[in-house]
Amino acid sequence: MAAVRASGVVKRFESTCALDRVDLVVAPGEVRGLLGPNGAGKTTLLRILLGLVRPDAGSVELFDRPPAQAPALARVAGFVEEPSFYPYLSGRANLELLAELDRGAGAPIERVLERVGLASRAVDRLAGYSSGMRQRLAIAAALLGDPRLLLLDEPTAGLDPAGVREVGGLIRELAADGVAVVLSSHQISEVQDVCDTFTIVRRGRAVWDGTVAALRAQAPASAFALETSDDAHALALAARTPGVRGDASGRGLTLTAERGRLDAYRSRSDTPAWRSAGSSCWPARSSRCSSR
Amino acid sequence: MSVAAELRAPDRARPPPSAGAVRAVYRVERRKLSAQPAIRLLALICVLAPFLFAAILKIQTGSPTDTLYGVWVHASGFALSLVVLSFAGSWGVPVVVGIVAGDLFSSEDRYGTWKLVLTRACSRRDLFLGKLLAAGTFSLTLIALTAVASLAAGIVLVGHQPLVSLSGTMMSSGRSLLLVLLAWLLTVPPALALAALAVVLSVATRNGIVGVFGPGLAALAMQLLLLVGAGVWAHLLLLGFAFTTWPALFTAHPFYGPLIAGVLVSVAWAAAAVAAAWAIVRRRDFAGAPVARRRGWRPAGRVALALTAVIVLFALAGGWGPAGVTADRLKGSLIPAFNNLTVLQQLALGRPVAPGARLNIVLPTCSRRGSAPRGPGDWVCTVNVIIPAQGSLPPQPTAVTYDVSVQSNGCYKAQSPPAFIGQQTMRDAAGHSVINPLYTIYGCFNVL
Repeated sequence: MAAVRASGVVKRFESTCALDRVDLVVAPGEVRGLLGPNGAGKTTLLRILLGLVRPDAGSVELFDRPPAQAPALARVAGFVEEPSFYPYLSGRANLELLAELDRGAGAPIERVLERVGLASRAVDRLAGYSSGMRQRLAIAAALLGDPRLLLLDEPTAGLDPAGVREVGGLIRELAADGVAVVLSSHQISEVQDVCDTFTIVRRGRAVWDGTVAALRAQAPASAFALETSDDAHALALAARTPGVRGDASGRGLTLTAERGRLDAYRSRSDTPAWRSAGSSCWPARSSRCSSR
Repeated sequence: MSVAAELRAPDRARPPPSAGAVRAVYRVERRKLSAQPAIRLLALICVLAPFLFAAILKIQTGSPTDTLYGVWVHASGFALSLVVLSFAGSWGVPVVVGIVAGDLFSSEDRYGTWKLVLTRACSRRDLFLGKLLAAGTFSLTLIALTAVASLAAGIVLVGHQPLVSLSGTMMSSGRSLLLVLLAWLLTVPPALALAALAVVLSVATRNGIVGVFGPGLAALAMQLLLLVGAGVWAHLLLLGFAFTTWPALFTAHPFYGPLIAGVLVSVAWAAAAVAAAWAIVRRRDFAGAPVARRRGWRPAGRVALALTAVIVLFALAGGWGPAGVTADRLKGSLIPAFNNLTVLQQLALGRPVAPGARLNIVLPTCSRRGSAPRGPGDWVCTVNVIIPAQGSLPPQPTAVTYDVSVQSNGCYKAQSPPAFIGQQTMRDAAGHSVINPLYTIYGCFNVL
């Protein structure tokens, strides 16, 4: 029995096609990443899986049941977009209400609060919570129901690096216990160590589906256009740097490499002096680069 | 131990999702409503306002004579409760149910929490029913608080003196109390219908302002519509009418047609509003902020248009059906009331009145000012009383003219210049200042 089985899902909002014949299958214990830029349709797909939005066409089943049915949602938890709670209540009171809706089943509130690092702020009103704390509370709310399927929309948004690592570790532990997880992100770097498989969504269509290893193998290296004071020297330097390919045949110099290789290239002491200023990814004082 | 195993409570199995889910949602809504300062303040007002009203009346001599039983507020605590009930039916209840029920659904849109509650172990149907239950019970609780507070304020600050019926007869304190409680009970069906209206406005517009103020505006529109036309059918279909059927209990011969009609109409309004609200919730896509923002005030505009159309329809249908208020019905109610109140007046003055004594009234007339002699509005009634006097043969009739303000529910207030009936207060046989029962006559007749 698949945790998620979506087939040919179509969803339109007025004239916008948010999802176009999307297929998705997630097995118990699998962590699936939905990758894509903003507006690609990741959140809409999660909304459909959570039963918040009905697809115009296609079928969706969670544990072999339609998502809008309570029996399905009883084993499903998650959140979409920025977490929202009742601001006039404390974090703990919010969780108590949700536990009441689950009729007291699932994990004890105190344990969940401790697990997400909010135990000390549980009695504070939501109005005083930072976005990171709200994100942690949303994860706590999701864990509260003892789910077998977690649907998380950008779960690490607003978290500090330590928080990102904690959430990643938590997800891996849940998956090890057989919980299926579908999480969305637009940054592969944040979730590549957490996910077993990825579905890349672009303009409402699932354009790629596979494992992390397959994605790494197939993904083209990034290309950067550089302006330097000595293109010939920079080209020669690239030729001596493993994994970096230089090309000066077009306008200016283009380097193609994974980001780590480019960093290694840049850090070499004999790098030519960069001519222009204003870079966002290279030393601001000496270079300008732009991703293609 | 793994995270999932650590968090899981092995001794508590997850219950079947449908069992008790509505009760769970109801408990959650009850807790949310109780935590809101506006609801707490409203409950405080419901308890304190009747006492404040009674205290103000206590320290001043005036009385709200335009309201049914208004002239009697200094004479009986039960009258005070009925005056509060009249105000509540017009304004209080729409405001209370608007605040309680008008934001119960739209607040989830405002806080963005639909996605939070809809992803728990309860269905849309459970959420809808639980919220509806909370809206109804909280509305009724606040109305009950007002009823109890108004009765307590009246009895404590004025007393539990017997009430004069709307036919001019005296009722015992026990019967007065029973009828006052029944009158408050009769506000339940239209109050629930207004709560359902608040819910559907809140659901359709996703706007708390429309949901909260909608019932009040609807009540105002219905009161204005009750002034339009003389036909009885369109008036019967208005919730405003259902709020004003209770006086039928306070006549010497209670009539139940309007009461039953009011209850049935309220049930129909409530059922229609709940069905519409459920249809919207059931079909709704909870698609998030960007889609919701695009909607803007368009839904509220559509709802306003639909309501305007309904109001225009009711206004056009104002003359539909037979006239409820006619000269004969008015005379048939006013003359016995005048007779009975004259007896009460004479008894209060200490004059002997034989049991079953009646005034000799000839050729009473009632005519409506300035237009057709039917329908609510301002009427003039003349009562010709033949009073035998020494040295006057044959006895000459004395004309008493009453200005009568008649409402569409058949209730009226009649006032006459003091030349014949005396001032508003008079001295009774013991020398106490008491209300002159003939100064302002309240009465009601059956419009069906």
